[in-house]
Amino acid sequence: MEKFAKAFPSKPLAAKTAKPWALAGVVGSGNLEVLLERGGRPSDTMECHVETSIPGYKASWLAALADFAHNYPAGGTKVTINDQGAPPVLVNLRLRQAYDHLIKGDK
Amino acid sequence: MTRGPLFHEQTARQRLAALVDPGSFDELLPPPERITSPYLAQLGIPVSFDDGVVIGKAKIGGRKVYIAAQVGQFVGGAVGEIHGAKLTGLFKAAARDKVPCIVVIESGGVRLHEGSAGEIAIAETMRAIFECRAKKVPTIAVIGSDIGAYGGMGILSTCCDFRVMSEHGRLGISGPIVIEKWMGKKAYDSSNRALVWKTSGGKTKYLLGDADALVHDDAGAIREAIAKLLGKSSAVTLKAMKTRQKELEKRLKRFGQTADPDAVWKGMGVRNIEAASLASGPEFAAMAKRGK
Repeated sequence: MEKFAKAFPSKPLAAKTAKPWALAGVVGSGNLEVLLERGGRPSDTMECHVETSIPGYKASWLAALADFAHNYPAGGTKVTINDQGAPPVLVNLRLRQAYDHLIKGDK
Repeated sequence: MTRGPLFHEQTARQRLAALVDPGSFDELLPPPERITSPYLAQLGIPVSFDDGVVIGKAKIGGRKVYIAAQVGQFVGGAVGEIHGAKLTGLFKAAARDKVPCIVVIESGGVRLHEGSAGEIAIAETMRAIFECRAKKVPTIAVIGSDIGAYGGMGILSTCCDFRVMSEHGRLGISGPIVIEKWMGKKAYDSSNRALVWKTSGGKTKYLLGDADALVHDDAGAIREAIAKLLGKSSAVTLKAMKTRQKELEKRLKRFGQTADPDAVWKGMGVRNIEAASLASGPEFAAMAKRGK
C-alpha cells in the first residue's frame, strides 16, 4: 500500500452542483473508486488523497491529478481515491465521471 | 423486444437506482462517511467507502422499503464486519419500523480476511431477518448477479420470506470451485457451465421451490416481482418448518444419489430438457407450472 496527499491549483468549481458528493468506479482488480466532494476547501485548490495497492507510481498519480485539476474547474473540491491497480487512463476516466455526476447528477 | 442493460452487468448502485422509484433512494452511511474496514487496512488491502454494500431507504411502487445491494467487484461481495453490521442494522430497522426489507445479493459469503467478525455479522443479520418474519415484515432476497449467493449469503437468502432469481443467478452454499477442490474434477467440474447452472442456477432453484420467482435478467422485471411480494410475509411456524423438513428429506431421498442434473429436472416434471434449457426464465417458469 502507498498513501499520499497533495493539493493542486484549479479554477473554482461552479457555485451550484447537482449533488454535494459523487462516487465513480468500484474497488476491484484494475479498477478504483473516486469520491469527489465539494465544500470547505480553499476555492482555488483541488485537495487529493490517494491510497493505492500498487506502490511506486506516485509521480504518475500526481501527474494525472495535476492534469485533471488543470483541465477542469475543480477548485474547492476534495478527491479521495481507493485504488486497486487502475491504469492512468482509467484514473482520468473515473475522475471525469465523478465530476460529471457532481455537476449534473446521476443519470 | 428491447430491454435496458442486463441486471447482472450493472453495478450495485446502478441496480438500486433501476429497482426503486426514481429519485427515492436515500443512502444510509453513504461514502462521505468513510465507514471502512479496519481489517483490510491492517492487511494492506485497499478499502472501499461503502465496504462493499450500499444500504438505504427507498420506495417501490410508492411503497416504503429498506434495500441493500452488495458490490460483487469489491472482494467478491464478501461480508466483513462493517459490511455485515450495515446489513444487520438495515434488517433491524425494518423490523422496528415494519418496513419491507430487500437485499440484492452478490457475494461468495464471509470475507475470509475478517473471518469470525464476518461469520458473526451474518448470524446477527439472520437473527434480524427472523425478527422481521416474527413481525410479519416481508423480507426478499434478489439473486441475479455474476457471483450469485454462496456461503453465508446463500444461507442468509434462504432465511428471507422470498427469493427472486433470474436465470443468471446462482444459489448454493459451497461454490463450484470449492466443491471441485474437495470432491475432485470427476465428481464436479466447475468449468462445466451447464453443470454449474443446472445444479445451482435460477431455473433449477425455481423448479425445486428454493426460488419463488424466476424473471428476466432485467431490473424492471425484478422490480415487478418484488412489488408482487411486498404485501406478503410467510411466518416461521413449527408446522411450516416440519413441512419443509419433510420436503427436503424427500428431495434428498429422490435425488441424493443422482449425478445427472437432467435427472433432477425430469424428476421435477420437465419433459423436454432441451426446450427447457433454451427457454428464458419466465418461459421456463410457465413450462414448470404446466408440468412440461
